[in-house]
Amino acid sequence: MSPTHDHDHAPIEAANEISEFDVLETAIRELAIEKGLFSPEDHRRFMEWAERIGPHGGSRLIARAWLDPEFKQRLLADGTETSKEIGIDWLDPTGTGTPSDFTYFYVLENTPDVHNVIVCTLCSCYPRPVLGQAPEWYKTPHYRRRVVRWPREVLAEFGLHLPLDVEVRVHDSNQKSRFMVMPMRPEGTEGWTEDQLAAIVTRDTMIGVALPRADWTAARSPAATPR
Amino acid sequence: MRRFEIGDHVTVREATTLFHHRTQAYTRGHTGVVVEHRPEWLIPEDEAWQREDGRVEPFYVVRFRQRDLWPGYTGLDRDTLETEVAEGWLVPAEEGMQ
Amino acid sequence: MTLSANNRYPVLMATLRRADPAPPESDRTPAPWEANVQATCECLSWRGTLDNLERRQAEDALGETTYADFPVHTRAAVVTAHSLLARGEISEHELETKMNEVRARFRQA
Repeated sequence: MSPTHDHDHAPIEAANEISEFDVLETAIRELAIEKGLFSPEDHRRFMEWAERIGPHGGSRLIARAWLDPEFKQRLLADGTETSKEIGIDWLDPTGTGTPSDFTYFYVLENTPDVHNVIVCTLCSCYPRPVLGQAPEWYKTPHYRRRVVRWPREVLAEFGLHLPLDVEVRVHDSNQKSRFMVMPMRPEGTEGWTEDQLAAIVTRDTMIGVALPRADWTAARSPAATPR
Repeated sequence: MRRFEIGDHVTVREATTLFHHRTQAYTRGHTGVVVEHRPEWLIPEDEAWQREDGRVEPFYVVRFRQRDLWPGYTGLDRDTLETEVAEGWLVPAEEGMQ
Repeated sequence: MTLSANNRYPVLMATLRRADPAPPESDRTPAPWEANVQATCECLSWRGTLDNLERRQAEDALGETTYADFPVHTRAAVVTAHSLLARGEISEHELETKMNEVRARFRQA
């Protein structure tokens, strides 16, 4: 094997890149299946599960907590158990179980004094049953290395400038727990329904790199906004 | 039986290890405060080997002041970082380390 | 004003020369094969061949050295293949043969 051969070839064209990585991906998967490392059914179930999940579960949990103080207390006290109330079972997320998701789930409440943000510096642990797949930037060493060391600067790069009297609390999910941030309910949402509130609780607000706003949902195209 | 209570000052061991673990280098040798108890979990050192008889330890959420973790931290004194640590990685903080 | 294909702006070419080996890839839309790779990684971890954490650490280490030329979103595929080769789960010959076979199959379609 020659893992250190030099790379003096021309840059790979985008179109070729896709097909060659398609080839590599298929080859690895088929070889692994032929060797009995896992079954085609294992793989198909993970695909089906991964494509079903998104941040909707998280949005639903937060919106309900904003409307129902008792639900909020249950959610903060036991995220794993309370998720079941909206149909998410952390101990059985795929129906077949995955070690990387056999975890405990904790919701971190933002307050006027504390702003929470999540990261996994060791790999890229993410609360997938409630937020879906992690965004690409969350998985980069760039984010993981820097947000623990320079949290205020990294948040500022996302456009989030926190007041000086707010404590920034970084949560590095290095063990069994997965975390999600409960942002504060923004002004201008008085009298809103759970569905209306859920729409403004976007993925980034639950990672902690943004704050929800009454005039913004993730479903809107930024380009459609009047300037 | 747990060794540490909420509010205890604890220091993460400096241990270097050849085994698979999940205790971040940046916390080792640093002192924080226990803010929550976690359940007893299989420790990563054994989990990686898929051992049936793996060792179980109580885990803790430890809160560090960012200023204590990073020399020249550019944020504010009140900024913190929390992470989970297995009991075996913790020792009581020495006097003067608090 | 028409865009000339011949005109290379030095400021842009300099960016490529200076490019960080691991630039943050913002919210690009992943290709379908990337989801397949993730599922393969989950299966390998779950069934005990290649632990997710070890693979992630290898992605960071090899992705910033040996495979620094590869975009971040391709690292999981490349490093998973590398790890299976390094552990002797598959051989270079097997992978090459399989890739040729798959390439031929995809061309047929």
